[in-house]
Order: sequence, then C-alpha cells, then structure tokens
Amino acid sequence: MLESNLVSEALQIARAGGAEFTELFVEDRIRQRLSMLNGSIKEASSGNDYGAGIRALYGTKVIYAFTNDVTREGLQSIAEAVARAGGFTGEIGITKSLDFRIAAPRKLYTVTQHPLETKQLEKVALMRRASASAQIGKVKTVDVSYLDWVQHVLIANSDGLWVEDQRFHSRLGVTAITEDGTRRADGWRFPGGSIGLEAFTNDIPEQAGLEAAKIANAMLYADFAPAGKMPVVVGHGGGGFLFHEACGHILETTAIEKNASVFAGKIGQKIAHESVTAIDDGTIAGALGTTNIDDEGMPTEHTVLIENGILKSYMVDKVGAMKTGYARTGSGRRQDYTFAPASRMRNTFIAAGLETPESLIKQVKFGLYARSIGGGSVTPGTGDYNFSVTEGYIIRNGEICEPVRGASLVGNGATDLLNIAGVANDLIRSPGFCGSISGTISVEVGQPHVLISEITVGGRA
Amino acid sequence: MKQLSFAQAKQFLLEAAKQKAASIEVFASQNSRTSVQAFQGEVSEFKMSKRMGIGVRALVKGAWGYSYTENLSEPALMRCLDNALENAHLVAPEQFAVLAAHPEPPHIGDLYGEGLSGVTVDRKVAAALELERAAREADPRVVSVAYMSYSDGESEVAIANTEGLDRSYKTNSAFQYVAPLVQENGQSKMGFHVQFSREFESLDPTQTAIEAVRKSIRRLAAKMPKTGKYPVVIENHCMAMLLATYSNIFSAKMVQENKSPLAGKLGTSIGSSLVQLHDDATRPAGMESRPFDDEGYPSQHIQLIENGVLKTFLHNTETAAKDGLKSTGHATRFGYRGTIGIYPSNFYLEAGKQTKAALLEEIGTGLLLTEVHGTHAGVNAITGEFSLQADGFWVEDGNVGHALENFTVAGNFLEMLHNIEAIADDLEFSPMVGGTGAPSVRVKELAIGGT
Repeated sequence: MLESNLVSEALQIARAGGAEFTELFVEDRIRQRLSMLNGSIKEASSGNDYGAGIRALYGTKVIYAFTNDVTREGLQSIAEAVARAGGFTGEIGITKSLDFRIAAPRKLYTVTQHPLETKQLEKVALMRRASASAQIGKVKTVDVSYLDWVQHVLIANSDGLWVEDQRFHSRLGVTAITEDGTRRADGWRFPGGSIGLEAFTNDIPEQAGLEAAKIANAMLYADFAPAGKMPVVVGHGGGGFLFHEACGHILETTAIEKNASVFAGKIGQKIAHESVTAIDDGTIAGALGTTNIDDEGMPTEHTVLIENGILKSYMVDKVGAMKTGYARTGSGRRQDYTFAPASRMRNTFIAAGLETPESLIKQVKFGLYARSIGGGSVTPGTGDYNFSVTEGYIIRNGEICEPVRGASLVGNGATDLLNIAGVANDLIRSPGFCGSISGTISVEVGQPHVLISEITVGGRA
Repeated sequence: MKQLSFAQAKQFLLEAAKQKAASIEVFASQNSRTSVQAFQGEVSEFKMSKRMGIGVRALVKGAWGYSYTENLSEPALMRCLDNALENAHLVAPEQFAVLAAHPEPPHIGDLYGEGLSGVTVDRKVAAALELERAAREADPRVVSVAYMSYSDGESEVAIANTEGLDRSYKTNSAFQYVAPLVQENGQSKMGFHVQFSREFESLDPTQTAIEAVRKSIRRLAAKMPKTGKYPVVIENHCMAMLLATYSNIFSAKMVQENKSPLAGKLGTSIGSSLVQLHDDATRPAGMESRPFDDEGYPSQHIQLIENGVLKTFLHNTETAAKDGLKSTGHATRFGYRGTIGIYPSNFYLEAGKQTKAALLEEIGTGLLLTEVHGTHAGVNAITGEFSLQADGFWVEDGNVGHALENFTVAGNFLEMLHNIEAIADDLEFSPMVGGTGAPSVRVKELAIGGT
C-alpha cells in the first residue's frame, strides 16, 4: 500500500515531541450502494474512501490527526502537526528509520464471491428476488437496499508492527410497508456479513423479503401495546440488542476508565443471573463484527465477559489497557481513518441456556413477547437504556396471543441483568450497526430467547 | 500518486465530462477541524483533521448515477467519472431529472465568523480544560466529567455543473459539549449542555459547564412515574428533538414514494390552529444557514404549516417538477459521499405568547418532559407513532416537583400536533439536533409507561 521508508518517516516525525508511541492507519475502501423502490432501481452510487490517520500517545494522552492526502508531503504534514501539538518546537529532521516486522494477519475466512469482481446487474438481480418475495398480503411498498465494500488497511506503529489486511462487507436490506385505508405498518430484515456476495446464497434474499413482509402484515392490524412493568420474553437473534445496549457499552474500557460505568471495579463479582454467560467474539468467521485484526493491528479474540453471572472481563483497547491495567482483547475499533480507535463491541451474544423458548413463554401469566427488535441506546454513566420492539405479541396464560404495535422497553442494565429469569437453548446472531465515540461500526448481536421477570414497556394501552 | 487541489480536481472533471459529452454535476467539499477533550485537569485527546473529496452526479438519459472519491489523483478522478456514468445505466430514468444553472443565490452574512480563524491552539486547549474543570468543581456530587469536548472547524462547499453553474461558500463553527456524571444516595445521573457559535469569544465554557451540572443534578432523587395518561408540557429542546426526528415526513420525496403519513394531506389541517412551522435556510446566524442547497438552488424561507394547515412539503428540483412546482431549496446530500435527498435546514416551530410557567400552571397535575432518547429506534416515520425513553419531572399544582426516571412516553406525532393546546414564548434552536428549534408546548395527553 505504501513504501516502508515513507511510513517510517511519518512515525518518527510524529514522535519528535516525545511521544512513547506513534501509529499510522491507512485505508483505501471501494464502496457500492444500490437502492430499489417497488422493483426499479432508484439510486446507484460508488465511492472511494482514501485517507490516513496518525495517533501519538503521551502516557494516556492521545493526539490524532488525519488527512486524505496520502502522499509523502501529506503524511509528513500531519506527522509534524502531531509533533507540534505534543509540544515540539524544534526543526523536523531526518531520523533513524524503523525496522518493521511485516506480519500477515491470521485469515479467519476466505471470500468466494468478490464484490469488485461481481457485475452490478447480479447485485440488482439479488435485490429483485428479495423485492418480489416481499409482495405478499397487504404490502404496498417495498424498499430494497444493497451495500458492499472492500477495505484495504495498513496499520504500522513505532514498535515495529506492520500489518495489512483486506476486509469485506456485504449487506442486503428489505423494508416492506403494508397499507389498508389509513392503517400502515412496516417490517424489515438486513442480512449480511463481513464477506462477499456468498452472504446471499440459497434463498437468503427471498427469506429476507418474506420475513419483512410477514412482520409488516402481522403488525398492520395490531392494537397498541400495553404500558407499565411486566414480564417480557425477548426473541432470539436481534433480541441481543438488549444486552448490547444494557450491558455491552458499559463493559467497554472507554466507559470503565472514566469511572462512567456501573460495572467499574466489579470483575469477579456477580452482576447477572447465574443462567447468563455473555461473550464478545471478534473471531467468528464471516460474522459482520469480525475482523482478522482490530484497528490497532492486534488479532481479535474470543472474550468471555460474563460467565454464569460472574463478571470476567471488559473489552479492552490499547489506551484502555494503559488506563485500567487489564490486558488488551483485540477490541480497538474505528469507523474509518477519521477516528482514533476505541474499545468497542464486535459480535456480542448471550450463550445458549438449558430451557426451551416454549418453557419461557409458559412461565408468563400476562406479559409481552418481543419477537423482533429495532435498535436502542444507553446513557453510559448511568446504565439507563432503551430499545424498541418492532414486532410484539401479548402473552396470556403462557400462550402467545394477539399482535401489538411497537413499543420501547426501558430499564437499567445493572438491574435488568439480575432480572433475567431464564435463558433458552436457541441462540442465533443478527447483524447490525453500532454508533459510539469512534464512529459507526458493523457488529452482530445475539441471544437465545430470554425471559426478563420485570421490565418497563412503553405502550399506549 | 500526485493529488490535485480541490479547484484543480473540479476543473479536471468538468473538462473530462465535456470531452465525453456527458452531463455532470460536481460536488466538492473540504473541511478542517480541531477538537480537544480533557479529563481530570489534563488534555486526554487532541484531534486535527483535513478532509476533502469530490462527488460526481452524472445524468444519462434521465437517470442519475453517483460516484465519489477522496483520492484526487487524475486516474482516480477519471475512474470516479466513469463509475458515475456506469451507475446511471443501472437506474430507472425519471422524467423530471434535469441539470440547470439555477437562479442567483441570496447573500447570507454571518456564515464565517472572523473571530474563529485566528484562535491559537493554546486558547482552544484552555477552553477545553476550563470546561472540564468548571464542571468537575461546580458541585461535590459531580463524580466524573466523562464526556466533553471543544471542537471547531471550517468547511467549504463548491458545486458546479456542465450547464454552467459554479458557486461555493465557506462556513465555520465551534461547539462545546459537556456531560457530567453526578451521584447521590446511590443514584447516578448524567445530563449535558452544548453551545454552538461561529465566534470563539461568544463561547463561555464556565457557563456551559455550570448549566450542564445544573441539568444533571436536577435529575437526582428521581422516582418512576405511575403508568397512565397525563397532560404534558414538552420543554423546548425536547420538542425540537421530536420535530427533528419527524422532519422527514415533510420531505416531498417520502411523500411521493408513499412513505410519509402526510401523503394526500396538502391543504388540510394537520395540527392545532396554533401551529406555525417554518424552515429558513437564510436565518441570520442559523446553524444550518446556507446561500444555496446541495444542488446549487437558492435558499429561502418557507412556511410549511400555517394555522395548523399543511401548505407545502420540502422539495428539491426533481420532486418539485413532479408536482408542477418550484424547488424550495432543500436538496441535501450529506457531503460528497451522499446522494441527493431532502432535509430541512433551520426548521422551527414559531414561538407563542405565553410563558412556560403559565403552561405548567394550566396543566395543574401532569408531567414536564425534558428529554427523549433512542429516537433512531423508537420512532416510526411511516405511521407517526413513537414510544421513547424519556426524562422529565412530576408537575403538581403547576409546580415542577421531583425528577422522573426509567419511563417511556408514547403517542403519535400527528395526533400530538392536533393536541397542542398552548405554545410558549421560549423558542430555542438546539445544536444537538442540527439547528432545529422549538418553544415549549402544552399537549393535552400522552401515554406514560412507568410502574
């Protein structure tokens, strides 16, 4: 991607202010995006993101500069800016060049259908299939989006690390809108992975269309959800947003190091019901949140966060390790070269338990079955979180009954983890996005069906 | 590979298009920013950046194709142009897609504050340190100033097309943000305050910090409300957040694609007769003010709702032509990486005449809603429904009482517009939601989910 003497110069110049550590991140990313409305292509766009960022550490103080002038002059100019910001006032001169250890990253997955070698019309064909299969029942409008990118990264640092990697991302999105008179409802599905177009083999496009349409049809005549505290069975897959929002963010060292987490200092303590084991895993082949190396160049890891209710580990990046003393877990992530890395989730899920989904539903006299989940958010300092139910049903006397319209669930991560009363055996994962201090990144969430004994449901009935 | 300058790249693309007899629009932008974060009296992160790129929109037989590049070498620019032309071939043609040399834009002052460009790095660092210090020391209940930053920057947008349009403008801005974590009797709360300006001297870190601490502390000793339906006063910033979240339903694109609940409602009453809703891209000192929109069309002030009646949607040239109208100047593309959509600029609900205190007095017993969370998930823009995590206060006999926590507010945005019974005189623009503004409003009833 770049010549090593050019990289060495930039890293050494950036260190002129006395930084203990400097790091260069370069990316060259090719993107394609298509959008379709009711079977006809409305938008087609492609792009090339190209830029570099230099990070310098003075103790735990971070100086970061980026540019998209990835030439010798461009890199030297941000390197000098970083040195000046660190207090350097002298002349920038030639220094000893760094000896890089060039390491090829461990390869977790091999792409079989490369997005850049696939004709755009093949992508359009996938979209048509998804769109056609969503045309059922009262569906009036179908929106389909397609997105892929191939990102080439180079990460080099003043410790002599030099690693390059290629990352893939393919995503198909289907939104179905039903209509009957003034009633409307929608449903959506977004399959994909950190892989090529093989993400959409077999009938994955059709299934996505069908599932989106089923939800939109089921919700069309749904009444308002009830409001107030009640037991909730949260569906598998996307239901994992619950753990992601309620606990995941406050187990990242970016929250721990600032004492802005209710879980700070609680390693080894019981923070959840003993049926809860939670994992953040950056190594699952092809999963949307997987990378061979994190954005600091470290191989990603399988990190057990909570084991049988006991807090085992945080998610730790380089600066987080320096500030908290815990070992790095390969969790340093960033949206792109415009962000310095921070500790972030990868593929986060609650492990399978022993019960069945039916046995969890049977335990509820009156409550909500939150089958599909949208997104949510959390206030890190307090652990207060919300996430939205996009497909819900009333549970009455242990039976799933009538559908109810969207409602938010709100609570506090520290409390609600203890309120998990049962974990089923049907773990699946679901792809999604996550926005936080180092930008918007791809993740997966996951869980089996989970019973929460009491949580506030924000309905209207 | 040698990188061209911003202006050279624009010229290179227009010439290349001319040689290919292609119709294109070039959207170029560059921005540079500085941001400083501090923690416990020391700078924790210092960030500098310079980013530029070029987006090409090509019009081929009535269809638009897009491409952008941040690599400004000649081969990369050529690839970008070719990709845009190829992409256009995939797209279904639209009868109303045209490139034009739009009318002259108005002159808008105050987009570039001269008092910001000369500020030294040391003064920015000092502002960040003061913001953190003042918040940390404002009250013994502050345990950590976990999230804060000072940031500023400037950007330039240039639009040119093969029909002869060629215009640009520069803006700058500075923000300071602080969110202190406070604790008392085992309860943790975190509020925040943010200030926006185009002039460094008008930012006051000490005051911003004190205000953020006040907003955090007032949330302590919170209780859960009882589930039920209550009359509600929605505080100005919270109302602005709801307005911004639903601004998309006013987009003519959403309406034409049948994705807005306002489809077919033009000329009808969609809110209480008190409701006057505006969008003004020419507003002096407005955060989203601009001389022209992202296809180069001149900015203007429009009124969307007049005495509760829906008068117009937000348009770009293409949606307007489809409806036999002129653009309202709302083509928006979120930089060279985006595609043309429709979004508001300085979008606001007009102030009323009463005070907020009078609104509270009128509800007697109910809730004051101060913030909603998770609007990216808990809002349905197709139906207008929402169910959101909220912050607020219990109101008893017109007086603001204890804080409320862990509750939800649910309703429908369009029903809520009809149920606005009073509007206060405290219109404020909210930098957290892209310059959307609102006064506090009194709403007949909303559903609250608590214990």
